[in-house]
Amino acid sequence: MSSEPLIRRSFVERRLSHAELASDGGTGVGERSPRVDVRLKLIDLSLVPRWGLKGRGVSAWLSRNGASLPSADNRAERQADGSLLARLSLAEVLVLAALDRQASLAEAMERIPPEGEDACYPVPRRDSHCWFVAVGEDAHKMFAKLCAVDLAPDRFADGQIAQTSVARLSAIVVRNDLKDALSFFLLADSASAEYLWDCLLDAMTEFGGAVSYSPVTASA
Amino acid sequence: MSGQPARLSAPSGAFIDRSRPLTFTFDGRDYEAFAGDTVASALAANRIKLISRSFKYHRPRGIFSLASCEANTLVEVNGAPNIFAERHLLSDGDRVRGQNYSGSLAHDCNAWIGAFGRFLPVGFYYHAFFRPRGAWRLWEPILRRIAGLGQVDVNAAHGYYDKAYLFADVAVIGGGPAGLSAALAASQEGARVLIVDDQPVLGGSLNYTRCDAAGMRAQAERNALAAKVAGTARITVMTGASCEGVFADRWLAIVRGRRLYKLRADRAVLATGALEQPAVFRNNDLPGIMLGSAAQRLIKAYGVRPGKSAVVLTANDFGYGVTLDLADAGVNVAAVIDVRGYIKASALRSAVAARTIRIEAGTMVSEALGRAHLHAVRIGRVQPNAGYAAPFAAIDCDLLCVSTGFAPNLALAAQGGARLVYDQRTAMYRPQDLPQGVTVAGAANQRFELGAVIADGERAGRAIAAGEPGESALSATHPLPICMHPRGKEFVDFDEDLTVRDIKDTIASGFDDIQLLKRYSTAGMGPSQGKHSAVNTVRIAALARGENESLIGTTTFRPPYCGESFGVLAGRSFDPVRRTPMHHRHVEAGAQMMVAGAWLRPAYYGDPAEAEQAVANEVAAVRGRAGLIDVSTLGKIEIRGPDAAEFVDRIYFTPHRKQPVNRTRYAVMTDATGAITDDGIVCRLSERHFFVTATTSGVDAAVRAMYLWNAHWQLDVDIAHVTAAYAAVNLAGPQSRAILALLCSDVDLASAAFPYMGVRTGHMAGVPARLLRVGFVGELGFEIHIPAGCGEFVWDRILEAGRASGLKPFGVEAQRLLRLEKGHIIVGQDTDGLTHPLEVGMRWNAAAKPFFIGSAALAAHQQRGIERILVGFELDAVSARPKECHLVIERNEIAGRVTSCAYSAALGRAIGLAYVRPHQSEPGQTFSIRVDGGKLVRARVVTLPFYDPGNARQNA
Repeated sequence: MSSEPLIRRSFVERRLSHAELASDGGTGVGERSPRVDVRLKLIDLSLVPRWGLKGRGVSAWLSRNGASLPSADNRAERQADGSLLARLSLAEVLVLAALDRQASLAEAMERIPPEGEDACYPVPRRDSHCWFVAVGEDAHKMFAKLCAVDLAPDRFADGQIAQTSVARLSAIVVRNDLKDALSFFLLADSASAEYLWDCLLDAMTEFGGAVSYSPVTASA
Repeated sequence: MSGQPARLSAPSGAFIDRSRPLTFTFDGRDYEAFAGDTVASALAANRIKLISRSFKYHRPRGIFSLASCEANTLVEVNGAPNIFAERHLLSDGDRVRGQNYSGSLAHDCNAWIGAFGRFLPVGFYYHAFFRPRGAWRLWEPILRRIAGLGQVDVNAAHGYYDKAYLFADVAVIGGGPAGLSAALAASQEGARVLIVDDQPVLGGSLNYTRCDAAGMRAQAERNALAAKVAGTARITVMTGASCEGVFADRWLAIVRGRRLYKLRADRAVLATGALEQPAVFRNNDLPGIMLGSAAQRLIKAYGVRPGKSAVVLTANDFGYGVTLDLADAGVNVAAVIDVRGYIKASALRSAVAARTIRIEAGTMVSEALGRAHLHAVRIGRVQPNAGYAAPFAAIDCDLLCVSTGFAPNLALAAQGGARLVYDQRTAMYRPQDLPQGVTVAGAANQRFELGAVIADGERAGRAIAAGEPGESALSATHPLPICMHPRGKEFVDFDEDLTVRDIKDTIASGFDDIQLLKRYSTAGMGPSQGKHSAVNTVRIAALARGENESLIGTTTFRPPYCGESFGVLAGRSFDPVRRTPMHHRHVEAGAQMMVAGAWLRPAYYGDPAEAEQAVANEVAAVRGRAGLIDVSTLGKIEIRGPDAAEFVDRIYFTPHRKQPVNRTRYAVMTDATGAITDDGIVCRLSERHFFVTATTSGVDAAVRAMYLWNAHWQLDVDIAHVTAAYAAVNLAGPQSRAILALLCSDVDLASAAFPYMGVRTGHMAGVPARLLRVGFVGELGFEIHIPAGCGEFVWDRILEAGRASGLKPFGVEAQRLLRLEKGHIIVGQDTDGLTHPLEVGMRWNAAAKPFFIGSAALAAHQQRGIERILVGFELDAVSARPKECHLVIERNEIAGRVTSCAYSAALGRAIGLAYVRPHQSEPGQTFSIRVDGGKLVRARVVTLPFYDPGNARQNA
């Protein structure tokens, strides 16, 4: 299922409408900003497309469509079209669209029938999971207040994935540095998005964190 | 306000910042201090000796260990009770009060209790207060008023407390010489190290102890080690942090300020030092008597002269170091009382002798003199077996420093699983059977010479097994620093005001096992958890039993090590809340939200004061026009693949293998015992694709069961849990088809084209949707599933489209009544953990469907016959209305229970569902229900459904 962006709303839309926005600091997201003194930024990317694929035929499907499966589980690799392909297991991947351009993989993925093909089954991750990103050198310290996995930069490499619990929610954490700024994508149950958002904001407070602006939010 | 009369000049006072003066109050009076001062050091700087009153006898108490080893220094700070005065760093304006007194701290109205101590023997409260019968009611309020330490301010503002994780390869607990050297050694091997120390400055005992006659070595070693640690990037230091617990697999609880850190380390080095222990003699608790290490801390860390004229009671070399430090601080040391008969030559002793300080060998303090504080001691010759040392002299003093031995600080090691064994050679405990990855180092490992301590730290840092303790351990601790006095008052446990006699009486009463001794006497059960009392208690027990200490055993060490505030324990926790995509629309429409598992759902829309009417209006809208309910919380599962039909058929009690495409079926899931665990709708979208709904609270277990069973079956099927991915609404009522037609143009909604129990895919207001014709509420109805991100948009469009038709949103309360009228069960309400399908009237054709999960059990149930069955019932208009779980009674026995009951406006009477015995279940039969007050009402069995028995409305 896909729908037009105008009728799609972020899972934290009400929170965003009340947030004081911060500068993006040149990370490529959040270009509009009244605050520039923010060391740690939280950005909602829930309106950016993302897809899930499951099944023993995933690897072959990706190969047929010019995408490369990362060599190990819990690794994410940037694809030629700019999308980030996160390997959750040998039989499950998550594809996160590039923030600034259309993913060519998207068209192929949306052609997969709902019942799947060749043991490759689409999963509606755009709706099942909210998508946030925390950007800043203290991001791993902030996560240490919510998550038992050590995300310190020297322990959790760029492109590494943790399928873990964040604030007692099952979550997928992907380190994906944005223009050399330490960044973590966080994907979790969309129904708990506001709860998680509030937890993140609370945890960010001691690091001078603030909500930053996502250009995608405005276009929706 | 006076200006800190006991304050020494620099360089004494390494912990304080003299450039930052501050003021505080103690019991209402203003005092001065410096940043870096603790409450205890600031009071000592102002020559305040009396800090609190003891728990039982209200005896005056002051600084003793300055290491939180006894309850003497518990004070109230800014309204928070039971704060250790030596742990609380002063802030400007702090308000401090003593505790456990009535009247004033100096003139406690309850101090008289001490004079009657002989009438309050140990365990007296087990024997008294209960006779004559009824006496307890008189005593209880008095005792409760007296008991307890400190007062909780129930109006205190809430503080912000939270938790965080910490990570390290090697955790080093203790920042003394052993800990620092362990950290350096571990880091040299590539480990990422975290040092946790409860003091504000690294160095541990090096910050106060004296290792050499010149008094230079400790500080030099501290500075060198600290500089190396500071220059090592792999080492992180947490000062002012206390390790409160060691749990399985090196899970360490660290408290700093208002945060609980949860640390999981690959290895843990417990360099927790040794706790200097009290000597036991008459009046050994008077203010002015303190451990030698406490006096050294005051002098060196805080720049405070602890007294004017001192006596040092010692049994080791450390006492001579204390003597030299006192002398250097300008304290007149009147004498050194050395318990040992033979004093081994040492540089420290020679230095003391060189200063012509009187040394009395083979002597013991037999009694301290004074009322509010110490003013003299009596000394006598040491007697065997802690016998009374009849005094031969008295020495005036306002300070008695006690340095007679140590107890390795092994509480954390014991918490982690180590066994503590008393070593008769050293008169100290040592750890055995340490858990994997945990090492003990330094003084905690019976190393007392600085070089040996540092070497042992390096050994632990490199994870090399420990050897035997060295020579220094053999002379560090006196085996029996006790002098029993004929007039008693030799305190063993300061927290609980327990004396030698109390311990001996406990043993004489038969409670001679250490665990019983502890509980009967309460030794070690105070705030300090035996840090200063456990070892001497064991020694007295051994003496009384005529056995070695090693045979006495130890009590159990439990966290927290030092004590945590309730705030730390109750601080921020995480309780996820799930909201549907339309949540804010419900709130904006005045919905009263209710909790359903982790979800929030609208119970009804409107004022709680008019809830009943609001629900009735919603029911009327559904029956008369149309209603819209948010059912996004329903569980949703995609089952796809070549074996999808086979899989679904095996999972559910109901048959699905031959279910036609584009059709739905009501499905019941059972477990291996045949009990109903869930229900929902199974939609077949294609030959290889099923979309299944499940109950809001049952879907997680349902998905788990599916994964589990397919791990056995290995069918070619994919199971995807997609509950949150789809918003869902139920549009129900006679007008629902017309409203839907305004938004959905690509599905033929006519009854013939889209019959009851059909499923279609199409679009709602341009949004891709799955439409199910369902009848849960008994009207023409459509369950519509749309992508969650579009849920609010579609909700708005449906309400707009239905405005002209009188469409009204309805909540869970109305839905419950509507489904009851239709006789539909709710799993978990109308079923319990044992209910099987036959008991709720479902039929099973074993020949047509021989296998599903629970089929074997159900076959047994079928063969045995059922003992209860769920029936619909109705009541006469005048009957009292039963509640859920009211009992069905037959011949004064329980025959069943009510599961649902409500008044139906559509039917004009109360209706319900109840379990009854099979012979009571025929329509027209009556049975009795016992309602509130014990009254029995008669209910009549009726055929289900109550409403629209021909199903004409839902099939419209």
